[in-house]
Amino acid sequence: MAIDIKNISKSFTTKDKEFTALKDVNLHVDDGELICLLGPSGCGKTTLLRMVAGLETADSGEIYDRGELVEGPSRERGFIFQQYSLFPWLNVLDNVMFGLNLSGENSKEENLAAAERYLERVGLADFKYSYPHELSGGMKQRVAIIRSLLNHTPVLLMDEPFSAVDMLNRHSLQEQLIGVWKRFNTTILFVTHDVDEAVYLADKIVVMDKRPGRIKDVVEVPLERPRQRESREFLNFQDEVEKLLGVWEP
Amino acid sequence: MNIDRRVLPFILPILLIIVWYLITDGLNLVPYYILPSPLDVCNAALKLVANGKLLDHTISTLTKVFSGIILAAVVAIPLGIILGWYETLDEFTSLVISILRPIPPIAWIPFSILWFGIGLPSAVFVIFIGCVFSVLVYTIDGVKRTDKVLIEAAHTLGANNWDILYKVVLPSALPYIVSGLKVGVSIALMCTVSAEMIASSKGLGYMILTASQLFDPGTMVVGMVIIGIIGILFDVAFRKVQSKIFW
Repeated sequence: MAIDIKNISKSFTTKDKEFTALKDVNLHVDDGELICLLGPSGCGKTTLLRMVAGLETADSGEIYDRGELVEGPSRERGFIFQQYSLFPWLNVLDNVMFGLNLSGENSKEENLAAAERYLERVGLADFKYSYPHELSGGMKQRVAIIRSLLNHTPVLLMDEPFSAVDMLNRHSLQEQLIGVWKRFNTTILFVTHDVDEAVYLADKIVVMDKRPGRIKDVVEVPLERPRQRESREFLNFQDEVEKLLGVWEP
Repeated sequence: MNIDRRVLPFILPILLIIVWYLITDGLNLVPYYILPSPLDVCNAALKLVANGKLLDHTISTLTKVFSGIILAAVVAIPLGIILGWYETLDEFTSLVISILRPIPPIAWIPFSILWFGIGLPSAVFVIFIGCVFSVLVYTIDGVKRTDKVLIEAAHTLGANNWDILYKVVLPSALPYIVSGLKVGVSIALMCTVSAEMIASSKGLGYMILTASQLFDPGTMVVGMVIIGIIGILFDVAFRKVQSKIFW
């Protein structure tokens, strides 16, 4: 068992108005699973993800990462932000080595070799000396993912990482993510509001609802990989999930 | 009209010198003691270069500017990082800084003479006061403006608080710190000349003041032009540095 979310509740106060972001959320994520948190904006999916990362605290409830209580951020749980989060003063190579160089586990040469190998694999080798402002949005997110993977993170938490990328690139990034997930056997929690994205990526989709933020349903995705977006099964299942979400409510 | 961009900035100075020549030596419209002619200024400059006084005074002024700004940087940058990082400390000190900051450095001259006498330490103190606040305020601002996402990203990559400060906050604040130094240096130059006019026996400010007392307007203009040139050189140097660190 990788991640256990137990009875998480959280409320925010804005201008003497209190609203419940999350109410009694329970979720269990197995090792190596790819789970999508799907829901409308305001359902607390990002807040929940940030709590798993240790970037935010709950009012009540606990989160365990492989049996250990989450009390703060850790390199054991990599986080890919919706906004670009590369260090603008470092080139691609130094960005992806940021975590490795902090840990001091290996020598600089070993880190460099590993970084170059990873960048090569995702086709970013030609950009290793480029600075973030010279990269496209999709490339920045790929570099961010590599930066976490190089850190040997067993858990990857992703907060709508591809939402700012155009559709074609988004599809290719999703495909690459699947490749990376399979190769590294990473546990992935992926937040999105895009039904198509959730159906394409997830083993399980956690459908969330707002006011108060809570889990409405957890559905297994019954589709074989690699998934075909045009296939009847894919489209049918997408409709089902949309119904669950309440997109088609009269 | 098509003029080379690089030539454009030099046209006005040349025109000004021509007009200056015409109203002085050329047509004798203005007497020497009101405005010396370009030739008078050149003569004065040659004399000052020949007897080494110009170099002496310039070096003295530059020494004060550099000592003041380095002292200010040594105090203001670490302090600014601490105040920018700890919000409580920033709030605790903000009123004092806001009150001290607008006091013109020149107003500190009487105290600086009392405390340090007439000479280098006194001038350096006034320059320090003049630029310490701009470096401080820019540094605080730079630290506070560090993108929260970058700090969180570093945390999830395994950074501790020291790593965050050293590897995220500091590089992120660097452009602001350099801007603060740039503003500081221009204030320092102004303070230096003023301080030299009152509390010094050397430097370009002192040279200008003694020349005015000796009715030597040529030397006065030489001093003013040199100060202007030093200002430009600092500006060019900072632009070079900034183009390297602004991404």
